[in-house]
Amino acid sequence: MVKLSFRLRPRCLTVALMAMLLSFAIAAPAVTQSSVRPPDDAVNTGQEPGLTAPLGSESDSDIWRRIKQGGAGATEGEAAVMPSVPGRPVNTFGTVLDELTAVQGGATSSSGHGRLIQTLGEDWRLIRRNYILPYTGWIFLGVVSLLALFYIVRGRIAIKEGRSGKMIYRFSMSHRIAHWFLAATFILMGLSGLIVLFGRTALVPLIGKEANAVLASAALQGHNLFGPVFILALLILIVRFMRGNFFQLVDLKWLLKAGGLLGGHASSYHYNFGEKSWYWIVVLVGLLMSATGLLLLFPWITDKLVWHQLSTILHAGGAILMICIALGHAYIGSIGMEGSLDSMLRGEVDENWAKEHHDLWYEQATGKSAGHDGDKDGAGDATAATEGAS
Amino acid sequence: MSFLHFVEGPFFYFSAAVFVVFAIWRLVGIIRIGKKPDLAPPRGSAAAGFVKGNLRHFIPRAIFAERTWMHLVAGYAFHLGLFVVVFFAAPHILFLEERILGFGWPALPRWGFIIVAEIAIAGLIVLWVRRLSDPVMRLISDWDDHVGSWLTFLVMLTGCLAMQEAHDPLRAIHMLSVNIWLIYFPFSRLMHGFTFFLSRGATGASYGRKGMNP
Repeated sequence: MVKLSFRLRPRCLTVALMAMLLSFAIAAPAVTQSSVRPPDDAVNTGQEPGLTAPLGSESDSDIWRRIKQGGAGATEGEAAVMPSVPGRPVNTFGTVLDELTAVQGGATSSSGHGRLIQTLGEDWRLIRRNYILPYTGWIFLGVVSLLALFYIVRGRIAIKEGRSGKMIYRFSMSHRIAHWFLAATFILMGLSGLIVLFGRTALVPLIGKEANAVLASAALQGHNLFGPVFILALLILIVRFMRGNFFQLVDLKWLLKAGGLLGGHASSYHYNFGEKSWYWIVVLVGLLMSATGLLLLFPWITDKLVWHQLSTILHAGGAILMICIALGHAYIGSIGMEGSLDSMLRGEVDENWAKEHHDLWYEQATGKSAGHDGDKDGAGDATAATEGAS
Repeated sequence: MSFLHFVEGPFFYFSAAVFVVFAIWRLVGIIRIGKKPDLAPPRGSAAAGFVKGNLRHFIPRAIFAERTWMHLVAGYAFHLGLFVVVFFAAPHILFLEERILGFGWPALPRWGFIIVAEIAIAGLIVLWVRRLSDPVMRLISDWDDHVGSWLTFLVMLTGCLAMQEAHDPLRAIHMLSVNIWLIYFPFSRLMHGFTFFLSRGATGASYGRKGMNP
């Protein structure tokens, strides 16, 4: 049987303790430098000149920040000069604006001249991540919730007098085809665009990265392919619907009455203020979407990176704006208001619907009074004009 | 066997066989119906009327030009576009060469394929929208017309979505929709792709025999 024994040896113990203390003393600074990260607001007390501190008492982070910010300096053919610090914009939008307003040939992040580090990509990424994705997502969900709430509270807006059974011709076949052609391509563009924009945020947790990659690829191909078709449909709609969509004085009265929501009757001609506004939003934002989309589809149009980055920002913002208003438009044109869908589906509307919502147009179209003569804000004018003319 | 191999292999051959056999069966059936003997002496050539009737209907009569121009343009855009996309897209030619024919032919460049696909899709959307918007078209359209339109659109859409050729699932979905379309084709109004010349020709022959302009 082996007998285990332990005998304390003071000399060995002393040597071991000294060795341990010495190793701690040597390792301590290294451990502090490599794994302990100082807080963001820590004050740098200065370092010894050397490889990591070429300007002596200047801190590394200050030096790298200056290099990153750029400014007057030389990078081509001359010895690099430490740039004077112009002061970096505190928000990333400022950087983008700086890039846009930079003179031709000047120092920009896009061109790469005059800067050792290109920061615009990071700024763009931050705008996209910190502003576009969260805000547009919440705006989109907010609009959907508002519409649902409005439907629950207000219900379907019925024709006050009920349906008369007599129909009036309102939209021609070419109007309807132009409208639905744009609507169909808009739905395709909207769905594919939302997948591209929110896929990583909203779909990956639900379907996983692999499926999202497939879906994103499909959506991008579809989006790029349907884009020119959307532009064609948009141009057809702009031309076909321009007549009657210029603002008139009666639209201001309609606006002041909030389209009748605040009580009383709000008169309008063929299109009311809301419809005209929607038309011009489609025109302006649609053209902006087309222009930015084409720039993204054909990036060789310009070699300035900032234009591409700005295009993605405007494209996403414009898309969310159009989708949100289109949801409202689709709501009021279908389940939200009785008789509205007939105008775009059949090209005809019920007479009572026309009297209620487009009385001045009704009087123009039929030569009959819409029965809003008590309304001093315009109703009955057309009748008077018609009668005067005859 | 993966799903892609299945839809590109056995299922495709089955669908193609159904398409060919039943399309021929229907064409032969239509031709065999024949017509009652016309005892009246002919005043013109029925054969010439058959050809003339076919050609004449490619262009609308002047009095209908104004009200038909939109679906005329959309119709040509869709049908010609679909024909070019099916037979001149590089992936389609390669597929036909490898799977059926054993030979290929020059393909459209990618940009040409994209433009033609866009034209075809725009045409199909306009045609379907017209089917809904036109009161007469809406009245005479039934579920078969809508299913045919949507299946065709689905085939084109899935093809467009798979254009990157980077993901097998997208290719498989496209092939699946193609197979369903092939099976549906002979039993639906999609058969007008083959029967239009018979109906136009029958009308033309009838008029031609009477010495009238079809």
